[in-house]
Amino acid sequence: MGVATRRFAIASAALTLAGLLASTSAVRSGALAADGAPPAGTVRILSLGGDVTEILYALGQSDKIVAVDTTSLFPASALKDKKSVGYLRALSSEGVLSVSPTLIIASEQAGPPEVVKAIKGSGVQYVDVEEKQTAEGVPDKVRRIGRIIGADADAQKLAAKIEADFAALDNDRKQIKVRKKALFVLAVQNGRATVGGTGTGADAILQLAGIDNAAAGVTGYKPVSDEQLAELAPDAVIVMTRGESDRHSGDLALSLPGLSQSPAAQNKSLVEMDGQYLLGFGPRAPSAAHDLMNALYSEPGKTAATP
Amino acid sequence: MLEARRVSVMAGQKRLIDDVSLTIVPGRLTAVIGPNGAGKSTLLRIMAGELKPSEGAVFLDGADLRQMPVARLATRRSVVAQSTTLSFPFTVLETVMLGATVPAFGIRDDDAAIVARDALAAVGLANFEMRMLNQLSGGERQRVHIARALCQLATAPRPDTETAALLLDEPTASLDLKHQYDVLSLIKAQSTEGRAVMLVIHDLNLASAFADEIVLMAAGKIVGKGDPDDLLNEDLLSHTFGCRLRVVSSGDGGRLILPAAITRRMIIGAAAE
Amino acid sequence: MTIAESSIGRISDAVRPARGTVFLALTGLLLLSAILSLAIGPTGVSLQSLPRAFAAAAGYANDASAERDRLVLIDIRLPRTLLAAFVGAALATSGAMMQGLFRNPLADPGLIGVSSGAALAAIATIVLGHGIAAPLIAPFGIYALPIAAFFGGLVTTLTLVAIASRRGELAVGTLLLAGIAIGALSGSLGGYISYASDDRELRDLTLWSMGSLSGASWQKVLAVLPFAVAILLVVPRLMRGLNGFLLGEAEAMHLGIDIERTKRLAIATTAAAVGAAVAVAGVIGFVGLVAPHVMRLISGPDHRAVLPGSAILGAILVIVADIIARMAIRPAELPIGIVLALVGAPVFLHLVLRRNISGGG
Repeated sequence: MGVATRRFAIASAALTLAGLLASTSAVRSGALAADGAPPAGTVRILSLGGDVTEILYALGQSDKIVAVDTTSLFPASALKDKKSVGYLRALSSEGVLSVSPTLIIASEQAGPPEVVKAIKGSGVQYVDVEEKQTAEGVPDKVRRIGRIIGADADAQKLAAKIEADFAALDNDRKQIKVRKKALFVLAVQNGRATVGGTGTGADAILQLAGIDNAAAGVTGYKPVSDEQLAELAPDAVIVMTRGESDRHSGDLALSLPGLSQSPAAQNKSLVEMDGQYLLGFGPRAPSAAHDLMNALYSEPGKTAATP
Repeated sequence: MLEARRVSVMAGQKRLIDDVSLTIVPGRLTAVIGPNGAGKSTLLRIMAGELKPSEGAVFLDGADLRQMPVARLATRRSVVAQSTTLSFPFTVLETVMLGATVPAFGIRDDDAAIVARDALAAVGLANFEMRMLNQLSGGERQRVHIARALCQLATAPRPDTETAALLLDEPTASLDLKHQYDVLSLIKAQSTEGRAVMLVIHDLNLASAFADEIVLMAAGKIVGKGDPDDLLNEDLLSHTFGCRLRVVSSGDGGRLILPAAITRRMIIGAAAE
Repeated sequence: MTIAESSIGRISDAVRPARGTVFLALTGLLLLSAILSLAIGPTGVSLQSLPRAFAAAAGYANDASAERDRLVLIDIRLPRTLLAAFVGAALATSGAMMQGLFRNPLADPGLIGVSSGAALAAIATIVLGHGIAAPLIAPFGIYALPIAAFFGGLVTTLTLVAIASRRGELAVGTLLLAGIAIGALSGSLGGYISYASDDRELRDLTLWSMGSLSGASWQKVLAVLPFAVAILLVVPRLMRGLNGFLLGEAEAMHLGIDIERTKRLAIATTAAAVGAAVAVAGVIGFVGLVAPHVMRLISGPDHRAVLPGSAILGAILVIVADIIARMAIRPAELPIGIVLALVGAPVFLHLVLRRNISGGG
C-alpha cells in the first residue's frame, strides 16, 4: 500500500512537472507569437512546397513569409530564417495555426487530408497550387501565385523570363542530332538502385533537356535489379546531391554491377545536381534543364543557360 | 449423485473410453485406479463436464450435464486438474479466491477471502496467503489448487439437497509422504461431510487406505469396482497392471500392495542382513 | 515489485494496494493529463480562453480572436484529447485482454491479425487509391483510409477465427499459429502493393505506420464513440472470465466460465477496438504492452484491476505522448508512434529481461 501510494505520488509529480515545463514553454512560444504578431492588414504567408517557396522568393516576397515546410530547400535561407511547420504531407493543424498565417499557399501535395480540411475550415485563406512539371506549368504557377499575393507585375515579368528560357531551351533541343539516354538514380540502397521512370519529375526534366529516359519502361521511382540495369545501358547517370558533403552517391551508382558495363560507367559520364534545383520545377527549371543538356551534349552550338 | 451412463469417447477410430457407467455417490470417496493410458483422466474430464462424450451422457442428480450452463455446474462440482500452471503472478490468496470467481456466485471479495482463508488453513497453508504462487514448491502449489476447489464448493450458492462433487486428478502426485497423508485426509473429510468425491490416483496403497469404493480401469473400460477389500486382490490387480503384484499385510492390520519383484528384493535384502 | 525481488531468491509477501485507491489516483492523473492536453499547444492558446471559446461556439462572440480560441480549443485540442484517450484506452484494454486470453504477458492485439489486416487495407488505399481502385475509394473522400483500415482489420480477424474454429470451439493455439501465417501473408501482399507505389505514397505509408493524432476531428470522435461504449459495456463482463483463463482453459470451464463466449467476446471487442483505433490514428505500438504491464505491477494480475486500470493508464500514456508529439518540434509535429516507442521500447526490454530472470514465469 505504502509503496504503491508513493509510486503514485512520484508519477503525479512527474506528470505535473512535465506539464508545467510544457506549459511554460507554450507560454513562451505564445509570447513569441504575440511579439511577432503583425499589425492588422499585414500579410503573413505560410508557404508549403519547395516550388511555392522558391517562386515567392523569386518574386521578392520573402519578408511576407512567416513559415515554410521542410521541402522548401531553396533558397537555403528559407529554412534558416523562417519557422518550419514540418514535412508538408504530415502537417499539424495547431502547428500551422500557431504561426498565425493569413494566407497559406500550398502545393497540392500538402496533407494529411483531414488536417488540410481543418485548416481550410479555420478561415485562413488557403490556396492550392497545382504541381505541373511542364514548360507551361511553371510560368502558370508563377502567375497564379503572383495574382494571389498581389504581385502581378513582378509575376508577369518572371513568368515571361521563364517562358523565354524555356523557348531558348526548346531551340537548343532541336539542334540535338543524336539523342542520348540517361538514367536518373534516386538512391542506392542495399546494392539496388531506385530509378526514375515515366511520370516522375526526373522524367519531365530529362524530356525538357532533350535526353531520353533510359528507365522509360518503369513507372514512378522504382528499385530495379542489376540485370534490369544492365539492359538499360544509359549514356549517363544522373544523381541528386544534398549539399557539398553528399558526393559519393554517384560513384556508388556507377559501381553497381548492372551499370559497370554501361557507356555511362565506361566514359565516367556522371551528372550530379542539387535535388531541389533539378526536380523543384520552380523558376530555375529551364536553367536546370539547360545544365543537364550541356552536361550530356558537349558539342558546340549551344547557347548557355541564362540563370 | 454424479452418474455416467454408458459413456464412450472416440479419438478417430480409437475408443479412449468404452461404454463406461459409473456413479459417484455423495458421502463416499470413489478412487479410480488403473495402469497408464487406461482412460482415468479422460473419464474424470467427462465426469467434470469438460469433455463431451461421443456416446452416452453424464447426469448430476438426474440432470444432463450437456444441458447445464457451466456457471450452474460450477456451483455443484469443482475440479483439481493434474497440472495447472498459472501464467501470471497471483498471490496464494488470489489463486484460491479464483474459486469464487464465477459471476453467478455474486459473492463479495471480502466474503470470498474469509472462505479462501479457511480453505488455505485446511490445506495447511495458513501463513502463505500473500506469497506468490509461482514461488511455492510443487507440493505447496498443489495444495493451493485443492484449496481453490474447496473454496469454490464452499462459496457456491447451493441448496443442501443438491449433490456437490469434488473431482481430483492425481492430487498427491508431487507431494511428500506427510502431505500425501494430509491431503488425502482432507479429501476424505470432504466425502464424510457429504460431498461426492472422485479421485484419480496411481498409488494403490493410498487408494486402499482412503477409498470407500475402488474403480479399476484398463484400456478405456471398467474392469472392476467395489469395496477395497474385495477388489484389491492379487489376481485382478496383477492381470490389470500386467505385472505380478503382491498384497501383503502391513503388520498393523493394514494392507500393502507391491510388485512381486520389489517384495522379493526386500526379502533378499532382509536375508542378507 | 515483489516478483522482481523474489525472482532473485528472496521470498516476500506481495503488496497489493486497495483497488479503489489505485483507480482514484489513475482517474486523477487522467483528468490532469486531459487538462494539460487542452491547455498546451503550439498556438499558445491557454485554458483561460475556454469561456470565450465556448461563447464563440454558442454564437455569442464573433470577433476573430474568440473564433480562433474556439477553433484551437474546441475543434482541435478537445477532439484530439478525446481521441487520444480513446485510442490509448482501446489499445491498452485490447492488449490486456489478449494477454489474458493467450496467457502471455507479451501477447499483443496483432496476434489476432487485426493490425496486419488494417495495415494491408491502408496500404492498398494509399497506393491503389490514386490508381485502379480510385472509383471505389473516391466516394469516401478523406475517410476512405480509416474506413478501409477498420474493415481490413475486422475481416482478417473474422477469417482467422473461422480458420481456428472447429465444431463451435475456438482453438487458441491454432489461432496463434494461423495469426502468424496471416500476418506474414498480408505483410507480403502489402510489400507487393507498396512496390507499385511512388515515393510520395511510400512516405505516406511510413507516416501512417508511425501513427498520429493530428487528423483528429469531431467526426472521428463521433465515429469511435460506439466503440468506446462497446468497450465500456463488454470489459466488465470479461474481467472474471479472463481471470479464470489465467489458470488454463479447462480450469476456467471448471470455475464456471463460458470459455467460448469469453474467447469470442474478447476477440470481437479487440478487433473492433483496435480496428477503430488504427483507423483514426494509424499504427500506435507499445501502449497495449506497457499499460497492462504497469497495471499488473501495481495491482497484480486480477483483470478486475488490470482491464479498467489499463484503459485509464493507456489513455494517460497516449494523451501525454501526444502532448510531447505536438510540442517537441513545434510548429511541426512528431509522429506519436516515435514518442511512444521511445518510452515503450525500454519498458518492453525490461519486461523481457525480467521474464528471463524469473524463468519465464
